[in-house]
Amino acid sequence: MASYYKKFKADLDASAGAGIITPEQAAAVYERALAGSPFASFRAAHWIGAAAGLFVALGIILIVASNWDKIDSYTKLFAFLLLFAGMGEAAIRLDEKPAAAVPLEMIWFFMPILGIGLYAQIFNLSGDPVKPYLVWAALASPAALLSRRPFAAYLCSALLFFTLYYGTLSSNGMLALTAARAADPQPLWHWGLALAVLAGGAAVFPGRKLSLPLGASVIWLFIMMLADTAIKLRSSGLILLSGMSLAVLWLTYGSERDDERASLPLKVWLGAVYFTTFFWHYGGDELVNHSGPDTSAGGALAWLLFAGGLLSVVFRPQRLLPAGSRDETAGKVMLAASMLCSFFLFDANEATAKAVAITANLLLAAFGTVSIISGARDSSEKQINLGVAVLTLTAVTRFIDIFGTMLKSGMAFIVTGVAFGALAYFVNKGRKALIESVKK
Amino acid sequence: MNWKGNAGYLRLVLGAQLLFFAAWGGWLVVSRNTDSPEFHLATEPVDPRDLFSGTYVALNYEISSPRGGRCPRRTRDLGRLFVKLEDKGKKAVTKDGEVSVYEATDCHTNPPQEPGWAKADMTYRFGGPVAMYGIERFYLNENDPRKDAKSGSVLAKVKIDRNHNLVLLDLVEKF
Repeated sequence: MASYYKKFKADLDASAGAGIITPEQAAAVYERALAGSPFASFRAAHWIGAAAGLFVALGIILIVASNWDKIDSYTKLFAFLLLFAGMGEAAIRLDEKPAAAVPLEMIWFFMPILGIGLYAQIFNLSGDPVKPYLVWAALASPAALLSRRPFAAYLCSALLFFTLYYGTLSSNGMLALTAARAADPQPLWHWGLALAVLAGGAAVFPGRKLSLPLGASVIWLFIMMLADTAIKLRSSGLILLSGMSLAVLWLTYGSERDDERASLPLKVWLGAVYFTTFFWHYGGDELVNHSGPDTSAGGALAWLLFAGGLLSVVFRPQRLLPAGSRDETAGKVMLAASMLCSFFLFDANEATAKAVAITANLLLAAFGTVSIISGARDSSEKQINLGVAVLTLTAVTRFIDIFGTMLKSGMAFIVTGVAFGALAYFVNKGRKALIESVKK
Repeated sequence: MNWKGNAGYLRLVLGAQLLFFAAWGGWLVVSRNTDSPEFHLATEPVDPRDLFSGTYVALNYEISSPRGGRCPRRTRDLGRLFVKLEDKGKKAVTKDGEVSVYEATDCHTNPPQEPGWAKADMTYRFGGPVAMYGIERFYLNENDPRKDAKSGSVLAKVKIDRNHNLVLLDLVEKF
């Protein structure tokens, strides 16, 4: 995203230099574009201010943690409340002066955990390790949401997602979802609390950008399906179906702008398809089946995710290739195929697994080729490079992974190199034809 | 109305945060301010400490696996439990002389009215179900020599507060 703004600024400056627009217009257009960025107001001074606040807050926490046992408990409690009130009030009063308000807001954000640590120290409290983080997030969220700057909200969202992952992956505590050995299943209200924390993390995340919180949620859900939880999956077919459906859903709904491809979800989808190519070596479900069968809840969720993914592919614009391009159908077919190839694994054996691997290789080859053609048509060097990178990575992996002998691999490299050369020739020829047609 | 940066709302939030900590601190002070007797508990060796949120000694107790009376032998029922703590004649020597070491003698799922019952939460740990009393950490100054104390070499001086919670008062070295 940062490179987009940098390139945009360079283009505007060049246009102003060429006399196409005035420097004032260039500056105004850039400011307007930058206003849509979540870090728009975070100029260098703000970042330094945030770092200052972070270091001071961590320093105070460490000084308090060193345990001033010679000081009376009541004095420590009173001093903490006074410091808390002072920091909060100062942050409110100096709200219009970012140089002071940013570090003060940072310290204010950390004050609840400072208090929780101090109280634990004074009263020798111990217990659920997740509870302090939840209380911290609950106390800090309102101020973060009311702040005119997004920094505390980012920290709060990160805190909630950290608590979600940390709490749900442990087998003890109020957020625990993984089963403790020889113990009863985790109670249902743990799921309610975990989903509330997830919703809180996504809701607190500032701006309209959905990509990161949606990605964190999607990855968390997939981990819960792999872990020993009430929604665990153990059959390769359902695991692959869920993983690919989640990747497609993230790609579809995690996009940030209508006119820009989603980069991180796209890389995750490509990574998932690339991973699937290794099913060529699949040897059966023996390993995963050791830890029991699929749960019915996990199975139902997997089919729901697949249905959601398929409906999204059909009714929503595809985000695999540049939006509004002529490759809309190709993008949709590739997305649907990435999910549907999981069906080969429902009768999991070596032959069907090889079919999955071949489909995945074809998908990567198709994506690479369509990207190069699309990039050449739209004069997008980035798109062409992406296509070449995907084709190259796929080809190199397969030569090393499958062919084995140096002679066969060497031949395969030469054939691929010649194919790339031919592709480059036709792409260039197509571009020239396009330019000629515009001139006429 | 613009909520962002509204000083009135921000002061309300600050007030709520301060009220939370004042109320919590007040509750902790009041609930522990009882004239219930202080007694000692034997500890068991565990990993001694870590440095999260200040230096502390991690403690495990003999009463963490309560036995006797109605205490479950191998329970799968996790959750709230009340444990009767009594002097059954076990002694230990400290710098203040010989002291009684209390033991778990009975268990109940509902809070009995008589004194001497401590609240515990049965949770599943590595070896099986363990009763957690909320006194598993004793915080120390980072230069306090007791930070090197291991469970088993110290006694925990405790009392029971108004809400049946065990309150950890001090760590006492055994001789």
